[in-house]
Amino acid sequence: MKPSTQLVPELRSGSQVLIEMLKRNGVKQIFGYPGGTIMPVYDALVGAGLKHYLCRHEQGAALAADAYGRVTRKAGVCMATSGPGATNLVTGIANAFMDSVPMVVITGQVPSALQGTDAFQEVDIFGITLPIVKHSYIVRNIADIPRIVNEAFQLAQGGRPGPVLIDLPKDISAGMAEVVYTAPPPQPEMPRPDSNAMQAASEMLSRARRPLIIAGGGIAISDSVDVFREFVARTGIPVTTTLKGLGVMQADDPCYLGMLGMHGNGAANHAVQNCDVLMVVGARFDDRATGHLAQFAQSARVIHLDIDAAEISKLRKADLAIVAELAPALEGIRPEGETSASWFGQCAGWKKEFAWRYDSPGEGIYAPRLLRDLSRAKPEGMTITCDVGQHQMWVAQHCRFDNPLDHLSSGGLGTMGYGLPAAIGAKVAKPENTVVCVSGDGSIMMNVQELATLNRYDIDVKILLLDNSALGLVRQWQEIFFDGNYSEVHLEDNPDFAGVARAFGIQARSIKEPEEVSEAIEWLLNTQGAAMLHVSIDSMENVWPLVPPGKANHRMMKSNPIKEH
Amino acid sequence: MNHTLYIQLSSVEGAVIRALGLIERRGYCLENCTVSKADENGRRMEISVTSSRPGDLLKRQLERLHDVFHVELKPAEPIHQQSQGIRPVTRRK
Repeated sequence: MKPSTQLVPELRSGSQVLIEMLKRNGVKQIFGYPGGTIMPVYDALVGAGLKHYLCRHEQGAALAADAYGRVTRKAGVCMATSGPGATNLVTGIANAFMDSVPMVVITGQVPSALQGTDAFQEVDIFGITLPIVKHSYIVRNIADIPRIVNEAFQLAQGGRPGPVLIDLPKDISAGMAEVVYTAPPPQPEMPRPDSNAMQAASEMLSRARRPLIIAGGGIAISDSVDVFREFVARTGIPVTTTLKGLGVMQADDPCYLGMLGMHGNGAANHAVQNCDVLMVVGARFDDRATGHLAQFAQSARVIHLDIDAAEISKLRKADLAIVAELAPALEGIRPEGETSASWFGQCAGWKKEFAWRYDSPGEGIYAPRLLRDLSRAKPEGMTITCDVGQHQMWVAQHCRFDNPLDHLSSGGLGTMGYGLPAAIGAKVAKPENTVVCVSGDGSIMMNVQELATLNRYDIDVKILLLDNSALGLVRQWQEIFFDGNYSEVHLEDNPDFAGVARAFGIQARSIKEPEEVSEAIEWLLNTQGAAMLHVSIDSMENVWPLVPPGKANHRMMKSNPIKEH
Repeated sequence: MNHTLYIQLSSVEGAVIRALGLIERRGYCLENCTVSKADENGRRMEISVTSSRPGDLLKRQLERLHDVFHVELKPAEPIHQQSQGIRPVTRRK
């Protein structure tokens, strides 16, 4: 039904108004967990025509909503009760904030008269989440709900997206009032690029001898992938991406150099350090991408394109900034001439020199090769969600993404436990996609309870669990930067993961030998329904290359330092 | 460096604490703050902060807030010449 303004007020509960306004804003699915103060909303949910997914921890609900928001570019919705329900959402809210993901969060709150009295399950979730939301509301009048819900969706999805929280005291959700529904307003116009700035950018790029582009997550968020690829095809400028920019370029494009940064490709990092004009598109100079900031791209003049004015010169001073929607800005920048053949050749040389190698000397299963094989075997429309750690970096390095929305990774916050709930959110959003959660033995335990959600709703998610019996990335850093003084990283006492999965009703098998990999990947991808492939790998395997913290990007370590005994 | 900013913002619940929280969280030390009622829907704040970070960056970060209508940055002065006056702000975004 087309949303319309209803002029005749009706007597309804705050919860009924909330549900109706969610529907008018296009919501079809919600992730949540009921409890005391949110009960009126759950009461109104019955028969309301919204599909609710009961996750088994509020953090799982929030992270599922995050992935739903990334995949659909519409706000994912999650809901929880006051107190611990609300605080359990916090990691998911922060995750969405750091990665600019549209999300609407609804929390129950104790009745208004009890607020500020340390009532049972009272926390100031509005105050707790102030630094990690794009905006937030405490509802004080039932009649305000239509405006607040409309604004929440508009804010969450508009400009640079982010999470918006609506805290709903129980007297508001249970109270009755005559309410006039209002139609969701159209999104306000985004700033158009300044023509003088586009001309200046064109001239800077025309004069550049060694131009380079850093492509960030903003390109996918603003649905500008096609325009960006056209820009690269038109100009021939080499491109590197951030973690969230993976998939913006097709992996086999000759202009594409790979991901830059701490675990980036050598070609990308050397190109950045040698370029003379650096155009940064929808990226924010994160420290994991830049390495030591003062030594980052030292000889380059920077052109920064972003929708968010507050990102300009936050970390690296922009010589030229264009604050606008990315697509019209990219269309308006038209450098003359072609990218220097010698520079392109130099980049191609680095690309060849730093191409990934898969001839590991170890006898066990080599995770990078397994992930490359998974990526090669992938059916059309496969989404990979990651947890956080070594496996996350191996996915970024060795899986090929032709669409940035096929790679869901907790970039800014680095949330262990993201992968499984994210896979749930991604599969609910796009049931036609094959969704694979690549996880680690540390990360999977952070939200392992969501295996029950897979089983409850028969959600067809494939889990590839890389088990090195350690908190691998921390162990790697302790090995390299703390002289092998291992502290609280060994997980030899891990449970039988395949047995755990089966206990939740999920099909599972374990492998240890390299010759089992090919058939096991086929099993995982072709099994009907949710399944887990548990893979034992060498606990001492490391992620290479590595830019040591505080070092410049071209000071990459390619492998373990040789130690003198 | 010392920066003075004039902020026009909504009078809704949480608007002032949201702005103040952002200021400190983004690396600016709050030295002075005056909040007064501008009209029925709005308040005005004058703040002075010290930071090694630029004042115009704080201005743009404050402008991102939905509750903030308008921010003006007073040109930076050496700390000993800092004015104590409150300049009325009338513009709305």
